[in-house]
Amino acid sequence: MKRLGLFVSFLAVMSLAALGAKTLTIIMEEVPDTDVIRQLIPEFEAQNPDLKIVIDAMPYEAMRDKILTEFLAPVSSYDIVIVDNPWTDEFAAGGFLVDLTDRVMALEGYDFEDFAKPIREIGIYEGRIFGLPFYNYALAMIVRQDVFDEAGIPIPTNIADYVKVCRQLTNKEEGFYGAAMQAKRGYKIFEEGKNYMYALGADVFDDEGNIVINSHLAKAALHLYIANLEAAAPKGAINWGFDEAFRLMAAGKAATMITYNWMLPSLNNPEKTGELAGKFAFYEVPGGKAVLGAWYWSIPRNAADIEASWRFISWVTSKAVEKKRVILGGAPVRMSVLKDPKVWEKGYGKQYYLTLVKILEDAEPLVRGLHAEEIIETVGLEMNNAAAGIKTVDKALDDAAKAIAEIIGK
Amino acid sequence: MGRRAIVPLKYKMVIPLVLLLLAVLIYPMGSSLLVSFQDYRLTALRERHFVGFDNYLRIPRDARFWNAMSNTLIFVSSAVFLEFVFGFGLALLLHRRVRMRNFFRSVLLTPMFITPVAVGLIFRFMLNSEFGIIPYLLRSLGIEVDFFATSPLALFSIVFIDVWQWTPFMMLLLLAGLESLPREPFEAARVDGASAWFTFRKVTFPLMRPVIVVAVIIRMLDAFKVFEYLYVITRGGPGNSTESIMYYIYRVGFRFFRMGEAAAMSYVLALIILLLVFLEFQLLRMARST
Repeated sequence: MKRLGLFVSFLAVMSLAALGAKTLTIIMEEVPDTDVIRQLIPEFEAQNPDLKIVIDAMPYEAMRDKILTEFLAPVSSYDIVIVDNPWTDEFAAGGFLVDLTDRVMALEGYDFEDFAKPIREIGIYEGRIFGLPFYNYALAMIVRQDVFDEAGIPIPTNIADYVKVCRQLTNKEEGFYGAAMQAKRGYKIFEEGKNYMYALGADVFDDEGNIVINSHLAKAALHLYIANLEAAAPKGAINWGFDEAFRLMAAGKAATMITYNWMLPSLNNPEKTGELAGKFAFYEVPGGKAVLGAWYWSIPRNAADIEASWRFISWVTSKAVEKKRVILGGAPVRMSVLKDPKVWEKGYGKQYYLTLVKILEDAEPLVRGLHAEEIIETVGLEMNNAAAGIKTVDKALDDAAKAIAEIIGK
Repeated sequence: MGRRAIVPLKYKMVIPLVLLLLAVLIYPMGSSLLVSFQDYRLTALRERHFVGFDNYLRIPRDARFWNAMSNTLIFVSSAVFLEFVFGFGLALLLHRRVRMRNFFRSVLLTPMFITPVAVGLIFRFMLNSEFGIIPYLLRSLGIEVDFFATSPLALFSIVFIDVWQWTPFMMLLLLAGLESLPREPFEAARVDGASAWFTFRKVTFPLMRPVIVVAVIIRMLDAFKVFEYLYVITRGGPGNSTESIMYYIYRVGFRFFRMGEAAAMSYVLALIILLLVFLEFQLLRMARST
């Protein structure tokens, strides 16, 4: 009877706490990693009965302007925002994000240095931390291992070989393609094509900040990209985004795809690819250096309760929670987790995480800086112009260089 | 004791409407007009300053603006023309006393009730060269078409989608117009032995002219706002070949946050549309006088 009384009292206290709990609203993208966070939330709420987490998930395209609108309000209706890597500098420079540096440094056992170097650096603006890494979307080369094995073709390690192999494996009459490509103008084509640029040592800016997108190496890379698109991808790929390319791959109609590393478990999931499950493997993108994408947890400067928001993001990015998140299928950002045998065992196996370590060691975002979003869109437009035959490669990249100079000057 | 001014009741009655208009129309328009004269970037609001006509003067040199405007004009003229032709044809058919007339009317109106984003997504996959049912059927007839891969075809594929969705709207307006026409001129034409084609040319069409102008203007204004299909299907590509003016303004304003430039572009667009509407009314007046 006494026990029952205690239990009822406990329930009453919990209910009262729940009734009075403060709600933290987070804007997030509707992606698998958000589902993983949903699974972790009950644990946080149990540890912090005064806080309740609400996720407002939406498509990527809706996020940028929605986040900025909230930044401009007297009080943001989002207590926490997740920020894509091209936006971090712009939002930090605009004074919209809380500087987390002192909090991070004061937190015992947090170990900020444990985040993979290229990833953690994106969250830092002018030496101060404005975003804590959430998950990575570095690019990798996913292949149909059975197709390569049957053909006796080794996995290509440089971009010229990759283009050659894709052509070799293509049989358009039978509807089988060497590469599932996504050459839609803007972000998509740039995200894919910049791996070709990295492979040849080209970039948008050099180390001194000069615009070098129209260098001969960048032009050679774009020529290779277009050659692959024309010879080894469906014609419609000029207007394809991720959905179409993924469908082609999942339908067993393509031998390779340069895409987000965490698509591998999806492709090897029998519910999605049926008999093809287990036949997909992933490697570093040919040439070694990959395009890096990553999302960050940040707190708006005008959030209602910055301390409460900090409580959540410091918890969700801690080593212990990161480990749980990755075991549940989240994309890792901490090196200790990537190298943890328990994670290998309960996750996708040692090989998967060690390949990812290699990818993350040599990965770089498309562009950084205050105008990253517009530069990405501009270069992506000009690359698509060249791929569609509207402009020559020379003209397209020269125009891209001019446009970037104008954007930076604005 | 001072005398209080007496406001006549008729003015008092319109005060709520005037206030409402001020709040929802005049204020936003005035505010955006002000923004169009400023270097107004949402990410650098502390640095905003008055730049006079700079944002307007940049437009004549902005090749992407004029490319988007040209795409939009091609889109609007092609889509509205086809919608008018098909819509008028369907309205004439449904104006007759055919069996199951109400059923056909309801079925034909269905596309209008689907949100344009959903329509865009449906056609994105139906017209996909690898997975789409339409290219598959065409391939079985020996016709290989990639609807969104090449420059002029991509824009006309978007026109086709718009025609599919909005022809019923044109049909609805024109059918309402046909049903409100007086019977006497048609009876007189029949008594005089006029053929169906002659009656259409000399009686139906002239009587319908005001309705046609209104229907075309309404559709034209709506077609200028084309955005959703491009957003979910082509994002303006390949290259800039399907970039509409609304999509371009959206990108400048809401992707790159340069609101001053976007506001100036919007005002130039509004002026161009006003000019087109004015021209249409002038044409109607000329047609009436002849």
